[in-house]
Formats: sequence, structure tokens, C-alpha cells
Amino acid sequence: MKKRLDSMELDFFLQQLITGLSNGMIIALIAIGYTMVYGIIELINFAHGDLFMLGSFLALTVLGVLGIDAWTGGGTWLGVLLLLLSSAAFCAGLNWSIERIAYRPLRASGKLSLLVSAIGASFILVNLGLFWGGLPLDVFAGGVAAAAPKDFPPLVPNTNLLGEDSLVQLTPKDLLVLGVTLPTMLALTWIVTRTRLGKAMRATAQNPVAARLMGIDTDRVIGATFLIGGALGGFASVIYALYNNTISFQMGYRAGMDAFTAAVLGGIGSMPGAVAGALVIGLVRAMSDGYLETRWTNTIVFGILVLILIFRPSGLLGSRAKEKV
Amino acid sequence: MAARLNPILAFFAIAAALPLFFGASGLFYDAFQSIFVFALVGLGLNIITGFTGMLNLGMAAFMAIGAYAFAILTCDIYPFQVGFWWGLLLAGAVGAVAGFLLGAPTLGLSGDYLAIVTMGFGEITLDVLKNLEAITKGTQGINPLPRPTIGGWTIELQDERSWYYLLLVLLGVAVLFVRRLERSRTGRAWLSIREDALASQCMGIPPKRTRMIAFATGSAVAAFGGALFAALLSSTGEPNSYDFQVSILALCIIIVGGMGSVAGTLVGAAVMVGMNAIVLVKIADWFGAGDSGSSSNVLASPNNWKYLIFGLALILVMRLKPEGLVPPRLESTATGVPPGPTVSVPPAGGRA
Amino acid sequence: MNTLPTIVAAWLSLVIAAASSAQNGTIKIVSSLPRTGSANAQTGTIVNGIKMAIAEVGGKIDGYEIAYEDWDDASPQRGNWDPTVEAQNANKAVTDSSIVGYIGTFNSGAAKISMPELNRAGLVMISPANTYSGLTKPGLGEANEPAIYRPSGKISYFRVVPTDDLQGAVAAEFVAASGAKRVFVLHDRELYGKGIAEVFERRAKELGLQVSGMEGIDTKAANYKSLAQKVKFSKSDAAFFGGTTQTNAGQVAKDLRSAGFLGTLVVPDGCCEEAFIQAAGANNLEGNTFVTFGGLPPAELTGRGAQFRDGYRKMFDADPEAYAVYGYECARVLLDAIRRAASKDRAGVLQAVAQTKDFDGALGRWSFDANGDTTNRVMSINAVKDGKFVFVKRVGDAAAGGAAKGPETPSDAAAR
Repeated sequence: MKKRLDSMELDFFLQQLITGLSNGMIIALIAIGYTMVYGIIELINFAHGDLFMLGSFLALTVLGVLGIDAWTGGGTWLGVLLLLLSSAAFCAGLNWSIERIAYRPLRASGKLSLLVSAIGASFILVNLGLFWGGLPLDVFAGGVAAAAPKDFPPLVPNTNLLGEDSLVQLTPKDLLVLGVTLPTMLALTWIVTRTRLGKAMRATAQNPVAARLMGIDTDRVIGATFLIGGALGGFASVIYALYNNTISFQMGYRAGMDAFTAAVLGGIGSMPGAVAGALVIGLVRAMSDGYLETRWTNTIVFGILVLILIFRPSGLLGSRAKEKV
Repeated sequence: MAARLNPILAFFAIAAALPLFFGASGLFYDAFQSIFVFALVGLGLNIITGFTGMLNLGMAAFMAIGAYAFAILTCDIYPFQVGFWWGLLLAGAVGAVAGFLLGAPTLGLSGDYLAIVTMGFGEITLDVLKNLEAITKGTQGINPLPRPTIGGWTIELQDERSWYYLLLVLLGVAVLFVRRLERSRTGRAWLSIREDALASQCMGIPPKRTRMIAFATGSAVAAFGGALFAALLSSTGEPNSYDFQVSILALCIIIVGGMGSVAGTLVGAAVMVGMNAIVLVKIADWFGAGDSGSSSNVLASPNNWKYLIFGLALILVMRLKPEGLVPPRLESTATGVPPGPTVSVPPAGGRA
Repeated sequence: MNTLPTIVAAWLSLVIAAASSAQNGTIKIVSSLPRTGSANAQTGTIVNGIKMAIAEVGGKIDGYEIAYEDWDDASPQRGNWDPTVEAQNANKAVTDSSIVGYIGTFNSGAAKISMPELNRAGLVMISPANTYSGLTKPGLGEANEPAIYRPSGKISYFRVVPTDDLQGAVAAEFVAASGAKRVFVLHDRELYGKGIAEVFERRAKELGLQVSGMEGIDTKAANYKSLAQKVKFSKSDAAFFGGTTQTNAGQVAKDLRSAGFLGTLVVPDGCCEEAFIQAAGANNLEGNTFVTFGGLPPAELTGRGAQFRDGYRKMFDADPEAYAVYGYECARVLLDAIRRAASKDRAGVLQAVAQTKDFDGALGRWSFDANGDTTNRVMSINAVKDGKFVFVKRVGDAAAGGAAKGPETPSDAAAR
């Protein structure tokens, strides 16, 4: 009896570990978009969470128009790929446009004007999400209740890969999250550290004026950063939708807040840091929900954040800012 | 000098004269009462972010602390019942203590790290208010709250005009206080810390203590505003009334108005809160007039356009007046530093 | 430097435009509901119900034109009801003397703000959705409730929905009767959801059920997978969620099912709408999810209720939702009072509403009791089948409900 109980406790722990890591990896994809933009123009891009939200609305629309959920077998995975690509392209384009319209003209006028412009963009995107939910499509239930959360069809099944009688669940959804997040991050690391564009991005981040003097077209580099960050947000929106199976025009708020927290926790501007921060948040949330009380989870997450920052003032993996004398 | 003071005087002169031109229009008084309350919160934030350059994304928490402190100290379901005026003062004091407690371990953090700590504090405050039901009544809110008495005369809740002038006077007191502080030794230390922490440290200004005073003072002013917010509603409302969106609103107020400018904060509050309380309501009324019941079309309801209008307005204001509607004087930055304060961030060289 | 005068001038013109008042011969009623943000889905159907009730009387009573205004008590910054805006709406209503009725609010917290204000002005307020017991019932809320909402000493607040203390108990009784032994209680930490969950918990314990856990969720979370696992590992055979579609009931149901929790799930009337099924996904609710509702579902309605259902379908080309009936009932009881009122002013209408007796409503035949609550205690348990709500059974006290007895309605025919 004792032994049986122990194995149940272990099962429970493993379960929370899986859930926490999956949730953390989704946050990580969004957080990278934040941290890249921050790294290069020092803007907390408040609109990023809402951009991510619109990506999931596009995914649901594409899914509905093409009737992807009716496909079978291998076609479903093809469908997922299609959604990933379309949302990534859409979010990249939208993010680039927002930068062009709402941020670029203000770049010279200081950080906080930019911040307010980003807040404004965020409100506009939320409103677009509300309108989008009112489209008269079947996947939006005819658009009658535009503001209601929308069900996202389970393209990826929820079957338990460990066998149906196992208490611990590991599903294709969890693998999907890992399967999208890991290669994306590897590719991104390669872009930033190995390519010409990556070099230009790092140069612009360090010193935009010097970078421009060196012949780097910083406007183009910043535009490219928004393109890449947006594409990651698009990926995140699709795996979020497939993992949680619900989307809502207000989901960008919490997703953005989690991602922003992750980016700072990890050390803002640092990509591995954003990933580490996101995983910490995902795990802390899962463990707090599982072992403590859900109603205190936010307090615990932010309490840990404050503690970490007190002892490591530049985040988990951020480099200590050196004062210029 | 005169040019600097003018907008503030103009604001109060116009505000004092406004009720003479209008009858008892509830909309008008309510809108301006909200504007005055949020102007107070903005003043508090302006000390922290505008003068001292510390980005604070958790101002709503201090507003909440003020509101709840006021409610717990005055409501008849608690044993204290200290009355309106003491409640107001003590709420400010509690706000200062809360600001001190949060600031003590975290004010060494730079720029956006501090910003996220304040945002986290906002979330924690919400959880605490919701979860500690024994003290805060959870999501119920605390009501009713006492009305102010001045020498035996009680201002009833429905006496809109008296409330209007009461708030205007209290706002005036706060503005005087903040203006004096700004020009005092402490205030000048704040500005110098904002412009260059290292240089001012070399001049003998202790950065941590100076920041701490700013943080506690700003928190106190915001808590004072929060207490009035609750007094005006005769209820704290639910904890969600003080969520992140309110912190964002406070931030928009001081940036749209003009960072580091007291007049800007007043104008910013008038624009931002007024947009919500007057403009959006009017737009909804105008376009809603011909509404014939086809509520299934999301575009048909003017209420569904509010986010869009609000967002567009923010972007437009920033495009047209990036330094805010009433930017602070150039001279305040002393040297060749460009106008408009910069919030301290790690210098560019430090990041990878 | 001329920005300030420009802004002020712009606002003055707005304020002046606002000052245009109502004409004679017009009686105005208003509703104050959250129209911006996520509650819009529910409040939209309430407004439909109100509009339908007004259309039914041809927009006229005794030669008076009935004007209706649909006010928003939410703001875009909040995305939800905003206490400042609700206070403002109450004030606006009080100062416009042509307004004789105030339909609202949606959130009980908002009612706490506007109730005293409207009470002082003697303006009748009828809520289609507030269920917090303390608003009307002495002894169930704080010690100073409900007196603090009635500064004038008279009752001016009424509601057509059953309160939390009734509905939570009914849900617990249903769970106990289903044979469950262990139940896990979840709620959204809001006034409505938490209140009803607490009643549920108390009643469940009285009935001998073991409550294996009580948790308040974070309504903005992306998912509740960790919590759902906790419910599953607790070996509970039933769960209750006190909350609404808006506070993420759909995601809670979905995550409970995908975690492998197979027991009975019961949710209150805040979820009794198509949007809940859409949000949760019909498959996740099939068969073992039940919704309590303060009245009978449209398909079960007879008499007045059936007329409402058919009329609504004709007017809006959709089946009415739970909230639509509540909105319709509010407006009808108000219009009926205006018709009966000796003087078509606030005092007259208030008196007439208070005297509402044996009202032949869409929710049954009911009266307002001395507290301003409906005497209607007919409630129903509904399940979800093939993506639609289906009626399971009728519960609660049947004594007060006349119109909804069975398929035949001789009494109704006779009454007319």
C-alpha cells in the first residue's frame, strides 16, 4: 500500500513536470520575440502578446476555410505545418508593419513615447481580434458571439503515449510543443551567431550609431528583427492553440505578461535567458498549482521573480551591465 | 518661470470656473472627479518615473493599498473607524510604508528589471486582496465608506458639486506639495539622479536613498489618490479595479501629458480619463442612436470600437507630440541633454 | 502652449452636446451592462431580450413613447465592468428625470456601487443577472447588508434571477443524487463564482459528500492542466466549477476532460449559453457535464415562455439564450409596471414594480417578495448532448411556478 502511494506521488510529480515544461516552452517562443526587440531598440513591445493572439485567429480561420480538421492521418500533420507557416508569415508581416507605422517614426523621440505607441498598438490589435471573432465562419460559431472564447479543433490528438491506463499523460501535443520549439531555437541561435544578419543585429543592439557608421543599414536590421520576432510569435500562436484548444481575443494579455516576465527573469536581451526564464515560470506555475494553492500561483511566480532579481540583478543569464565611466 | 507655472494655473482656473457654466449634469461632474483622482495617481507616478526616472508598472497596487487602507480604517464593519480625514492621511502613510518596503530591496535594480518587479508587485497585491478575505472581504469590496465632514457639514455622496471642489482643492494641495518638492534639494537630487546617476553620486547625492524617498513619496501620493477613488465610490470596488490596466493608464497619463511635468500630468489625466469618460461615451451614444437590434454583427455596436479608438488616439498623440502635450521645460535638464527625461537603462555597451 | 485651451474647448463642446435632454411624452428606460470586452457576448443577448420586450408593446404605453438606451458600464482599459463607469451611469440616470427604470447590472459588484445611488433617487433598478445573496437578503452577506444599499429605507432594487444560495444548493443536491462520493470544488474567485461555490461546498458537506478540495483559479491563465491533474489524482468522482464562460469555464471543462477526469462536472447558470459549449468544445461536455439554470430552458417553456422563445427566433433568427430570457423578463416586468403605474414617474413606477404579483413571465408565474427577490424557484438541470443543451430535470420549489407545469397549459389559456 505504501509503495503504491509512493508511485502515485511520483506519477503526479512527473505529470506536473511535463505540463510545466510544455507550458514553459510555449512561453519561451513568445518571450524570444520580446527579448529580441528589446535587445535591439530597448522597447518593451506591449503589442507582442496581442500579435500572438491574432496569429491564432489566423490559424483558426485558415483551418476553417481549408477544412483542415476534416483531413485524416498524415494530412493532419501536413495541416499543422500549413498553419505554422501561414501564421508565422502573417505575424511576421504584421509585426514588421507595426514597426514601420507605429515605432519607426518615434524611435528618435525616446523610449517612453515608443512604449505608449506600443500600448496603443496593443489596444488596436485587441480590437481587431474582437472583430475577427465576429466573422461568420463555422469555426467561429457563425460569429454570433464575437467576444466569446473560440474552440480550436484538436488537430493533434490527446492520446496517451504511455498507454491509456497510465496515470501520467504524455501526449502528441507535448511532443508537438517540443518538436516546434527546439528546432526553432536552434535555427535562431544559428541565425544570430553565424549569419551576416545576426552579426548586424548584434552590432545594432550594441551601438546603433556605430553600426550605422560601419555601413549597416540599421533600419533594415531592425525590420528584420521584427520579422523574425513576429514569425516566432506566429509559431507560438499555433502551438498554443493546438495545445490549449481555445483561443480568445483577450489571451494576448496574459501570454504577453508571462513572456515579458520570462524575458526579464532570464536577463533581458539574452535569448537563452528568455528560454530559461520561460521554463522556470512554466515549472513554478505547474508545481504551485499542483502542490500549493492555485489562487496563490501568481504571487509565488512573482515572488520568486523578485527574489531572483534581488540576488541576480540582471536576471538568470543576463550579463551584468557595466557602468560606463 | 511664468511660462512654466501658467499651464498649472490655467488648469485650476478653468477647472474652478467650469461648474459655473454648467448645470447639474452628472456626466460632467463624474468625468472630472475621475480625472482629478487619476491626476493624483499620475502625480505620484510622475515623481517616481518622471522626476527620478524609475519605470514603474505597478502604480495600481499603491492606489489599491490606499483605497483598502482607507476602507479598512473607516468602514463601520471594522473596529477602527477613524473618520474621513484621518483615513485619508493614514492611507497616504500606509502607501509610503508600502513603497518603502517594496523599494528597500529592489531599488538597486536598473531600468526594466525594476519595472517588472513593480509589475509583479501589482499582481501580488491583487492576489493578496482577493485571497485574504478575512481582512479585505475578497472580491466583495468594502462598502460603505464615510463621507467627508467639514466643521459639522457633511458632503453627501450625491452632492456632486461639493465633491468636485473638494477633489479640486485636494488636487491643488498635492500639486503645490509636488511642485515645492520638485524645486527643493530633494527634488533637484531626483532630477540629477535621473539624468546621470553616476555623476550625481560623485557630487555627493546618495542614489539609493534619493530613489527611496522618491519611491515612497510617489507611492504615498498615489495611495492618497486611491483613497479618494474609493471614497468617491463609497466602496473599494473589487480588487480587479486596480489591475495592470490601471497601471498602464497611469503610465499613459504621464507620458501623454509630458514626462516629468506636473502640468503635463494634469493635462494627461484630463485627456486620457476624459477620453474614456466623455469622448467614448459620446461616440457610443451618437452611433448607437440608430441601432436597430442586429447585435449579431460585431461591427454594428459602437462599443466594439472603443479599443480601436483608444489605441489610435495613443499612437496619434505620440506621433504628433512625442514629448507629450505639455513637455517639461528644457532648462530643467541643465546641460546639452535632449529634452524629455530618459528612464535609466543599462548602458548600451553592457548587453550581448 | 495653446494645447490646453484647445483641449478644454473641444471638451466643452462635447459637454454641451451632452446636455440635450429628453422630450415630453417620452419615458426612458436604460440598461447598464458591460458592453466592452468579454462579457459582451452575454450582455448582447440581454439587450436583445430588452429590445424584444419593448417591440412587443410597440414601443408605446398609454400614448407614452418608450425610449431605451443601452449603456456600457465597462471601459476599454479594464475590458470588463469599471466601477467608475458604473457610478457614472448611476449618476447620469439619476440626473435625467425622464428615466424611470434602470435595468442592470450584470455583475453583482457593480450593483453594489449603483444601488445606493439609485435608491436615494427612488429610481427602480431591476437586475437580469446579479445573484450575490447579500444584495437583498439579510443575514447572508455582511452584517450591514442589505441595509447599506437602501439609504432611503425603501426597497428599489429587484431581480428576476434566483440567488446563489438557491442555485448552489440545487447543484450540490444534484451531485449527491447522482451517486458521487467525492467532489472537487473550483471557483473563479469572483463575487458570483466564489459565492455559489461556497454554498455548493456547504450543502455538499451537509449531504455527506466528501469535498476533496476547494480551489480558486486564475481566470486569465492559458490553461488549467496542472490543476486538472490535481483533480484527477484526488480520485474525485464529481467536480463543480463556480464561474462563467467569461471567467474561463470552457477551458476548465476542457482541461479536466483532457487530463482524463471522467466524473460528473456541474457548472452554474453563468455557463448556460452556447458560448460555453463553443469554448469548451462540444465533445468535452458530452454526456457528463451539467448546467444549472434559474428557470426552464427555452424548449421546455410553455405559455408566455413559449411565446418568448418563438418571438425571439423570429426577431433575431437565433435560439434565445439563458441571459436573453432574464433580460426580456426584466424589461417586461418594468413595462408592465409602467402600464399599471398611476403616475408615469419614478415613484409611480417604483411602486408598481414592488407590487408585481403573479406575473405571467417567461420564467413562470412569479412575484417579487419583500426583499425584492423573485419568488420563482423553478430551476432546471441541463446536460449537453450533440453540442446543444438538453433538459434533464426540473428542480427547486415548484409552488410558485405556475406557467411551466407541463405540456398543457389550461390555466394560462384561462388567465388570458
